Amino acid sequence: MTSAGSEIPVRRFEPSAVDLFMFSAASWLLHRIHYDRPFTTTHDGHPELLIHGPLQGVYLVQTIEAWLDGRGRIDSISYRHLAPAYLGDVLECGGEVTNDDDSIVELHVFTRKEDGTVTTTGKAGVRWQT
Amino acid sequence: MPVITDEARVWADREFPDFDYPVTRIDIARFARATGETNPVHYDPAVARQAGYEDVVAPTMFPYAIRMHAATLGADPNPDGSPASDVPPLPTTRAMAGETSITFGVPIVAGDTVFVNRRIADMYEKEGRSGALVFVTMEFTFTNQRGEDVAREQFTRIYR
Repeated sequence: MTSAGSEIPVRRFEPSAVDLFMFSAASWLLHRIHYDRPFTTTHDGHPELLIHGPLQGVYLVQTIEAWLDGRGRIDSISYRHLAPAYLGDVLECGGEVTNDDDSIVELHVFTRKEDGTVTTTGKAGVRWQT
Repeated sequence: MPVITDEARVWADREFPDFDYPVTRIDIARFARATGETNPVHYDPAVARQAGYEDVVAPTMFPYAIRMHAATLGADPNPDGSPASDVPPLPTTRAMAGETSITFGVPIVAGDTVFVNRRIADMYEKEGRSGALVFVTMEFTFTNQRGEDVAREQFTRIYR
C-alpha cells in the first residue's frame, strides 16, 4: 500500500463560483481573476474565472491526507502550475509513491482536467505516525 | 534591454515589516469551510482536544491565508487586486502563480499567534514566447508564540 509505485486514489474536485469566492475571501486574496469575470476575460484574456493555484495546492494536500487517513502527516509539498484551470473544469488529483526507502516517503502528485491536461504537478514528503 | 531595473533591485533588497496573525476559531472554521474540509477537528474544540490538540486545529495549508493577509493588509492592492506590497516595480501587467515549496512544522491551533517573516529570495528574467517573463521568489517563515517552526515556504510569482 505504501511501497514505491503504489497509487494514491484519485479525488475529484469541481469548485463552483461560490467555492472560488470563499477561498479568495478566507485567504484575503483580492486578485480579480478569481471573481470578476468581465475583468478576467477582457484584461487577462482568459475564457473564464481561474481556479486559484493555491486552491489546487489545497486539493493536493487533501488528496494526500485522505490517503494517509491519520496514519501520518505531510512533511513537505512543492508544486508548480503548467496550465490554467477554469471555473467549470472538473479537476482530478492523485499521485503515486516514488520512494519508500527513507523515513520520509516521497510522492509524486498531480492535478489534471478530465481531458488529461495536467494543470499542476509536484512532489510531497510524508512521515508516518509512530 | 533588461526588464529588471536598478529600482527593482533596490526594492528586492528592502526589509518587509514583520506581521503577526492571532489565529481565532473563526479564522480556522472559515478557511476549513472555504476548502471543503469536513473533519470536526477544524470546527469543534471538544473533538480537537480529544484528538490531542489544545484547540481547533488549522487545515495544513492555512499558512497560505496568513501570508496573503500579510501581503494585503498593509497596503492598497494593485488595480487587478494583486498585492502591491509584494510586487516589484516592473513594467509588467499580469501576474501568475509559479512554483511553491512548503515545509510544515508544528500544527497551528486557535489561540496561537503566528509571526510571518518574508523576504525576496530571488529575482530573475527569461525571454518567453510573448516577451520577457520575470520570476520573483519570496521566502516566508512562520513561527508561533513559542518560537516553534510552523511552516516555511518559497513561492515564485511570474510577471509578464
